[in-house]
Amino acid sequence: MLQAHSLLWNYLWVAPNLFLFLLGLLIWRRGLNRQIPAFLAFALLSSPGQLSLYMADILPSVSAGTFWRIDWVSLTLEALLKFFVIGEIFSRVFSPYPSVSKIGKYIVSGVGALLVLIAGLVAGLSPGDSTFRLISGAHLLELTMFMVQCGLIVFLFIFASYFRMPWDRFSFGILLGFGVASCVHLATWATMTNLDLSIHQRTLLDFVNMATFHATVLIWYYYLFGRKIPPKDGAGGRGSQPPSSGSVTDLEESLHEWNRELERLIHQ
Amino acid sequence: MTLAIILIVFAAIGLSVIVRLCLSFSKSLRLPEDASIARQIQPLDVAAFRNLIDPAEREYLRRRLPSAEFREVQRERLRAMAAYVQIAARNATVLVALAESSRTSSNPQAAEAARQLIDNAFRLRRNTAYAMFRIRLAWLWPDSNTAAGSILQGYVQLNGTAMLLGRLQNPAEPVRISAH
Repeated sequence: MLQAHSLLWNYLWVAPNLFLFLLGLLIWRRGLNRQIPAFLAFALLSSPGQLSLYMADILPSVSAGTFWRIDWVSLTLEALLKFFVIGEIFSRVFSPYPSVSKIGKYIVSGVGALLVLIAGLVAGLSPGDSTFRLISGAHLLELTMFMVQCGLIVFLFIFASYFRMPWDRFSFGILLGFGVASCVHLATWATMTNLDLSIHQRTLLDFVNMATFHATVLIWYYYLFGRKIPPKDGAGGRGSQPPSSGSVTDLEESLHEWNRELERLIHQ
Repeated sequence: MTLAIILIVFAAIGLSVIVRLCLSFSKSLRLPEDASIARQIQPLDVAAFRNLIDPAEREYLRRRLPSAEFREVQRERLRAMAAYVQIAARNATVLVALAESSRTSSNPQAAEAARQLIDNAFRLRRNTAYAMFRIRLAWLWPDSNTAAGSILQGYVQLNGTAMLLGRLQNPAEPVRISAH
């Protein structure tokens, strides 16, 4: 069962990509494309790339060289789209609050640059797992891409958590999916590119990667279209009620008192 | 081999951070009532805090006390300052939770006040991080200045917006983050 080209292997390669494409169509149909355009582009463009790679793998007429070239193109496109999605989520979470979005942009740019440098260093130090540059290069690209992605996502989560940023369901779900996938993929690619593994061990790690991606797509379905907890309208409801005149007078008095105190402190 | 281990450890730490934050996000979806959030606010004595960060006060102590004693007193003042800043940071976090429920209010005034309160609270939280860093540095060099002044200004602004939101939300129970 845990063999290359087994039924499970075929399912794990094809199904999540079909589900992802379907997710993109659902996002489009439900009019969410204006809210998350980069994620929509990722869903609609990366899945055909992976499915073409699958076709290239099973069709005997496609040579190994062509397969790896398709892999390179698909990986590069996927990497670009993923970074656009991360940027989109950053913008959704931080842009409404100018007090943190500016400093956040600077810090994220700095962390991103540092991660790219570290990833370059790691790629340079990695021995590579194949004598063919096309293959080992593709694997190193995967490793460096997941390093930068994982580092950026973990940083965004920590930064947002420090400020207790209010997440919306879409942003949280999308970033959670990418976060889980990038952490697991980073660990598997680090193992594959740096250790001398047998073919069976590599296949097992492929299964881990594919299963994680499948779980990620399900996470996105859950957060984008799953059951939503109804928001409490307590505050809003109360806010729309007309205030009683007596309590407003008291509050105005305390506001004046506070302002007097402030002016005294400021001009001291 | 070493490189692989380092990367796997990094990935494992990253995953555990994400899972932990995911659990806290699930909890945050079950927001407690505004009243119970508001009870978590610890009123802060702005006047006492201002006195503590007053440079004239520090100069006075420096002139009056022998340098060893001044450093000891200044460290005590810094400890108190840090406690104030931490309370201000905690209050800012509580106010974000409080204002969050009003952000999507049908009352545009309440929604705007909530948005402003959240922004001010974030600014204060950012400043508290910077101030804590400066206070820790000042702990090592008690003669240096601290950056707690911006905290006071931020707190003052935050109190204003919190009171405005409290008034719009519930006139009977105003939100006060400063003690008189």
